[in-house]
Amino acid sequence: MQKYVMRRLLLAIPVLLLSSLIVFALMRVMPGDALTALMGESGNVGERELAKLRKDLGLDRPYYQQYGLWLWQMVSLNPGHSIFTNEPIAVSLKKAVPLTLELAALAMVIGIVIAVPVGVISATRQDSASDYVGRVVAVSGLSFPEFWLGTLVITFAAIWFHWIPPIGYVSFWESPWRNLQQFLIPAAVLGFRLSAATMRMTRSTVLEVLREDYVRTAWAKGLEGRIVVYKHALKNALIPVVTIIGGQLGVLLAGTVVVETIFALPGMGRLTVEAILFRDYPVVQTNVMLVAATLVTLNLVVDLTYAWLDPRIRYS
Amino acid sequence: MATVTERVVSIEEAPVVISRTRALLAALRRKPLGAASAALLVLIVFTAIFAEVLAPYDPLATRPEIRLAAPSWEHPFGTDDIGRDVLSRVIYGARISLWVGLLAVGIGTAAGMIIGLLCGYCEGRVDLIFQRVMDAVQAIPGLLLALAIVSVLRPNTTNAMLAIAIVIIPGNSRIVRGAVMSAKQNRYVEAAQAIGCRHPRIILSHILPNVTAPILVIASIWLGNAILIEATLSFLGVGTQPPTPSWGLMLSSTGRAFMEQAPWLAIFPGLAISLAVLGFNLFGDTLRDAWDPKLRRN
Repeated sequence: MQKYVMRRLLLAIPVLLLSSLIVFALMRVMPGDALTALMGESGNVGERELAKLRKDLGLDRPYYQQYGLWLWQMVSLNPGHSIFTNEPIAVSLKKAVPLTLELAALAMVIGIVIAVPVGVISATRQDSASDYVGRVVAVSGLSFPEFWLGTLVITFAAIWFHWIPPIGYVSFWESPWRNLQQFLIPAAVLGFRLSAATMRMTRSTVLEVLREDYVRTAWAKGLEGRIVVYKHALKNALIPVVTIIGGQLGVLLAGTVVVETIFALPGMGRLTVEAILFRDYPVVQTNVMLVAATLVTLNLVVDLTYAWLDPRIRYS
Repeated sequence: MATVTERVVSIEEAPVVISRTRALLAALRRKPLGAASAALLVLIVFTAIFAEVLAPYDPLATRPEIRLAAPSWEHPFGTDDIGRDVLSRVIYGARISLWVGLLAVGIGTAAGMIIGLLCGYCEGRVDLIFQRVMDAVQAIPGLLLALAIVSVLRPNTTNAMLAIAIVIIPGNSRIVRGAVMSAKQNRYVEAAQAIGCRHPRIILSHILPNVTAPILVIASIWLGNAILIEATLSFLGVGTQPPTPSWGLMLSSTGRAFMEQAPWLAIFPGLAISLAVLGFNLFGDTLRDAWDPKLRRN
């Protein structure tokens, strides 16, 4: 097991290095460098000042040196400064990351809480009215974009309940209640969308597992229906479900970008979108790499949960 | 010897095409939801092609005197903040969405297929290198990658399309690679190699036919996603630029600004996106049920 984890971690390094190279290259093919774009907006900046700024930011060095420097900054957890606000990136990330993590975790929980029971009900009552309702909800979750759902929620909450999303972020530790007020609705929007694929997967795998011999045995022993479904069937049906949830982490992180923009939450997603719009390349490349590294790690965690869910799976 | 093999292969191949169409038709008959999704897609394609005829007004014509008018007989979806007819804009929006979706998926699928064929057929070092690059691209969430690409290239519809195509490549290449590897195990491929067929011929006439079904299934599902990503990019301001009527852009530019006075500005474009994505998702499911017995569920 330990060997397996080590091997996976070692395999992740070249992948992440390649990702960083792609991101770095991408940021360097910008037509006209970031500085020209930045200075173009502020107007009259002399050639000399531009050259000085370029030197300060290390943009006058050869690409391989810039890349090496950036890698070193990333590894030493000091990814430099935003060229737009001049704030150290580590500081803005420290503010933004907890917010996005809270949103993502809450959305994940809401998604699973909706998906698994509805999927199980859909499967145990196949082709009944509740099955159809569940399936329609799942398919609509897949098709409604977050930005539309979010916009609709804000619109109708404002029209019907005169509710507008509170401005100014409050952390959970300051005021749990106000914090939840801020997060619950965006997380529900995101969670609803996440629940769709999970729900479909739960339904189809539970359907399959319910036909297995050991489930028939469980019924034959005279076990209660709930125990058969939740203890015998569901646990064994969960592996593909975990795969789906793992595969959705990317969707989840992308979703936070949109939801944070709509609900004015100052998280990673909004930070990244703003940096992209302003071509603040140090922030963009750092954030994108952070997300990539997180995803790679989480995928490993997902793979390891299989062994816990299915004792037949042993990694070596 | 060669002619015998050729004949055997051509006899084997011919029914594949017929049976695929037949399998699809059977699936559509069996599944009312599949048939409904096919009808929905036909409707959307029809709307996009005949937008000029179907749209009651010019999508760009402004009439400030009727700005933010509620839905009525004259303007069934209402008008926006500068008096443009929302229905006409939604109809023209279908064209942008489909165009971006088709081209992005076309380019992404073709590139993914070439890489997948190459990797699956050659294996070894080529495979290793390409697959690690694909891993690296896939490590970055699609929307973020698309956002970064578009911002670098400059935000417009064409670049949004290119960005989406790049996002599609890794997943597709992997699916094709898998299909090629399993197709390679077939006896007839071995036979073709044994009688000295050249590689391009083996790939094109013996392996490719095995790969088309999964590719088409994935492409149809990706079409929905591509439309969604285009809408999201436009919504965030880095896709299609005003005044072109794109569904995502309509939602963000006017839909959000005037949502309390004029909720129809947000409802109809969003509904259009959802229906298009829904149509492609359901149709993709139907295709998969019809063509991929391994994934078929009862």
